[in-house]
Amino acid sequence: MATYQEFIQQNEDRDGVRFSWNLWPSSRLEATRLVVPVSCLFTPLKERPDLPPVQYEPVLCSRANCKAVLNPLCQVDYRAKIWACNFCFQRNPVSTPQWTILSCMTKHYSTIEYRGRGPPNPLIFLYVVDTCLEEEDLQALKESLQMSLSLLPPNALVGLITFGRMVQVHELSCEGIAKSYVFRGTKELSSKQIQEMLGLTNPAASGPQSRPAAPQDPAVTCRFLQPVHKVDMNLTDLLGELQRDPWPVPQGKRPLRSTGIALSIAVGLLEGTFPNTGARVMMFMGGPPTQGPGMVVGDELKTPIRSWHDITKDNARHLKKATKYYDALANRAAVNGHSIDIYACALDQTGLLEMKCLSNLTGGHIAMGDSFNTSLFKQTFQRVFSKDHNGEFRMAFGGTLEVKASRELKVSGAIGPCVSLNAKGPCISENEVGVGGTTQWKICSLSPSTTLALYFEVVNQHNAPIPQGGRGAVQFVTQYQHSNTQRRIRVTTVARNWADAQSQIQHIESSFDQEASAVIMARLGVFRAESEEGPDVLRWLDRQLIRLCQKFGQFNKDDPTSFKLSESLSLYPQFMFHLRRSPFLQVFNNSPDECSYYRHHFVRQDLTQSLIMIQPILYSYSFHGPPEPVLLDSGSILPDRILLMDTFFQLVIYHGETIAQWRKAGYQEQPEYENFKHLLVAPVDDAQEILQTRFPMPRYIDTEHGGSQARFLLSKVNPSQTHNNLYSWGQETGAPILTDDVSLQVFMDHLKKLAVSSAT
Amino acid sequence: MEAKDLYIKPGNQERGWNDPPQFSYGLQTAAQGAPKRTPLNKRVPPPQLTGSPCPVPGDFPSLTAPMTPPTNPLAPPCSMNTPPRPCPVAAPPLAGVMMMATPPPPFPVVEHTDSASSQSENEPDVDDVVTLLNWALTACRHTVKKQVCNDVAKRLKLFEDMWKSGKLSLPVRRRMNGLVQELKSCNWDAADEIHRALIVDHVNEVGQWMVGVKRLIAETRNLNPDLLHTQEVDQSLDTSSTGNSD
Repeated sequence: MATYQEFIQQNEDRDGVRFSWNLWPSSRLEATRLVVPVSCLFTPLKERPDLPPVQYEPVLCSRANCKAVLNPLCQVDYRAKIWACNFCFQRNPVSTPQWTILSCMTKHYSTIEYRGRGPPNPLIFLYVVDTCLEEEDLQALKESLQMSLSLLPPNALVGLITFGRMVQVHELSCEGIAKSYVFRGTKELSSKQIQEMLGLTNPAASGPQSRPAAPQDPAVTCRFLQPVHKVDMNLTDLLGELQRDPWPVPQGKRPLRSTGIALSIAVGLLEGTFPNTGARVMMFMGGPPTQGPGMVVGDELKTPIRSWHDITKDNARHLKKATKYYDALANRAAVNGHSIDIYACALDQTGLLEMKCLSNLTGGHIAMGDSFNTSLFKQTFQRVFSKDHNGEFRMAFGGTLEVKASRELKVSGAIGPCVSLNAKGPCISENEVGVGGTTQWKICSLSPSTTLALYFEVVNQHNAPIPQGGRGAVQFVTQYQHSNTQRRIRVTTVARNWADAQSQIQHIESSFDQEASAVIMARLGVFRAESEEGPDVLRWLDRQLIRLCQKFGQFNKDDPTSFKLSESLSLYPQFMFHLRRSPFLQVFNNSPDECSYYRHHFVRQDLTQSLIMIQPILYSYSFHGPPEPVLLDSGSILPDRILLMDTFFQLVIYHGETIAQWRKAGYQEQPEYENFKHLLVAPVDDAQEILQTRFPMPRYIDTEHGGSQARFLLSKVNPSQTHNNLYSWGQETGAPILTDDVSLQVFMDHLKKLAVSSAT
Repeated sequence: MEAKDLYIKPGNQERGWNDPPQFSYGLQTAAQGAPKRTPLNKRVPPPQLTGSPCPVPGDFPSLTAPMTPPTNPLAPPCSMNTPPRPCPVAAPPLAGVMMMATPPPPFPVVEHTDSASSQSENEPDVDDVVTLLNWALTACRHTVKKQVCNDVAKRLKLFEDMWKSGKLSLPVRRRMNGLVQELKSCNWDAADEIHRALIVDHVNEVGQWMVGVKRLIAETRNLNPDLLHTQEVDQSLDTSSTGNSD
């Protein structure tokens, strides 16, 4: 097992790829019997400090419907100056003067970055700001926006739209009086109408013949989207002078927020001036849209915003219409390569359920907080502009991912923050999974942690011989705009051996990556949960788990106690257990907005972070040894321990009963109990290391035995001891949990019974 | 970046429940490229599947008697050398026993205490700072548009007024002094970095005028270097008697 674990880790470090199986079953039938499909998690822009970009364009296969990039798996004949494509076997003559250098490099790097084509267009940041905020919040938001002007890339273009009852598009002229164009918040306008009203179309032409002016024409575009280095002073003043929406809000009413129109104008403005350039719409809102298209709730406070109960009872009046409206906007933005961020800070829901596609389809961020005057918002926002070790921005724009595979594999689809480019080709499977029917996807905004799950189908017939060469290959080609505005192309080519499942099933089993598979299956589950009923998704998940255990468990028929799983699968059932209880699949206890928020982050994070979300990490600190990982179980909650739990969205430090008493008594202040002080500080330091870099910023909970906030820990741990079984359990350690949730032991017992049963 | 500029403040618990602590700009940027000290990513498999004995997190005798953690973790706890303190709760183990907890962090994490009125020997002189800023601005006036220079001047004046009326805290004053020193030495990136750190860490104090300093740095770095050197620089500034730079 150690060898496979090392192999898996090396591959992830080098190529950003983790496959569910690292030995591939050579027939379609055998592949379906493995339950977990041949699939992978792929991080296109994984941070690779050792990988300087090559200043040449990649060498492509000349076959029209192939065009794979030269890679280490290709046979190269240096004397004859020919290379053979490993995907289509086409023999390609040398075509570029840089052949020798390029082919040498390509031979050694499974992941390599090339120069891309296209002009270095400037990046664009368009702020869309809700002014229906409390004074304190508005002040904090204004300051954050002023601060961000210092964090933007220096040559970026910046724009400002503010909204409340009306929507104002601000002209950022370099001098003179500030002007703005005002739109009614209720009237839906087409993209063309918006561009006309903003004067973005050619003024000389009239009537239906008007065409939008060329995007490079500075005279037209300088008014609303200007270089930050030119307008920073004026924009700082403009932001400083922003007032709360002047329309008075009567008692018992919500402010009238025209979020839908504001976004429509933002998308239309960018569409008309800078299509196909990296751009970020950053929307800041302090409450739900209450007016115009895309409204999520009316302005009467006595009508609360929809809950899960309302949705299941089909009592959410605005849900379908609003979702459709934002979906259309999201697709328009995605087509143009523009991403939309949502920064929602309010104590109640703001409509993330309806608006989530704006970010999910474009790769934009969603940040959810209580107020703009919190560290959670301020630091999350700051981290959007974080830089890597080279001092370059981590954010990237205008990404497209193309996947090529050996002829024995077809591409079923992808799940992640992307849209389909509807690229037809020979590699496409008829069985669609996630965003399918294509081998190319668009990811308008990327970061080094953006990760897609890609699903494949083995198409070889049963009993067909193993393909010549013994290996299948997949190539990922990611084109994107770097934050320094240059276009780049990153190519990753990986291969895995084929294996005959009938004779080599144990080898295939030992190549199983249970961590990657858990995340891959979880993404499938979350994808299904968007359109299916919750219980159906759980049933599906359970069925897959049972089938997997039946296939790979070692047991005697009908004897549950004999059931064992090998090490390569030993963590998998636990992952599934926690996934079933997670906020991604359990909507009870979380609002629709919260679920949308959690799912948004889940389907885009890399493997390590995704696993943390499925099954939180729990470390124990005590006098009895160095910090150690412990079972996410109520039995790990002990009086003389401090626990640090990381759920990705929260960091919880829980002090056991005795520790809490000591802390309260103040022993840490006394010099002779300095070791106790160190013990208290240890989990805080480890938590801080996570807090310093994680995006988005998690909540931080310092609690103790009996504290009300301890519920964050208690609700996550496996309730092996509940009020139902406390005295029958036999153990006297651990804290009982008041719940009727089934425990891991009960779950495992049921699982084992079902797996070994000849009836199932 | 000085150690004083690497700090953590608590979050805003009034506005956000469980608001996380706020890290200074210096701490955040330092963490960007640094590898994790102790990545917390291990999990423990449940005992039912592998057949191995249940990894119970340790059974220990009741805690009614005071105990010292054993130096050998397998040994039973030994009694204390000193008599127990008279308190209702048993005391934690004494120091002097070999510690096995995580070592102290590498970053100088210091709770930031803001004392605008504290006078240290490093108190920068407002006139020196303003003079240097104006020196740069004057150099800019040759080539940079008048409106821009006036806008910058307006903000520099605001900065000066705020300083003189005691509205700027010591860290801001100190760091602005550092910034102008970098400006004088033509270390544009360093000056720019200080401006960024200041606006992130102290936006409420500097937000109105810092953009003027930002623009000043940006315009000055584009100037013909001869233009800068022909400016008369007050002799007294060369000896940097005003104290701390990096």
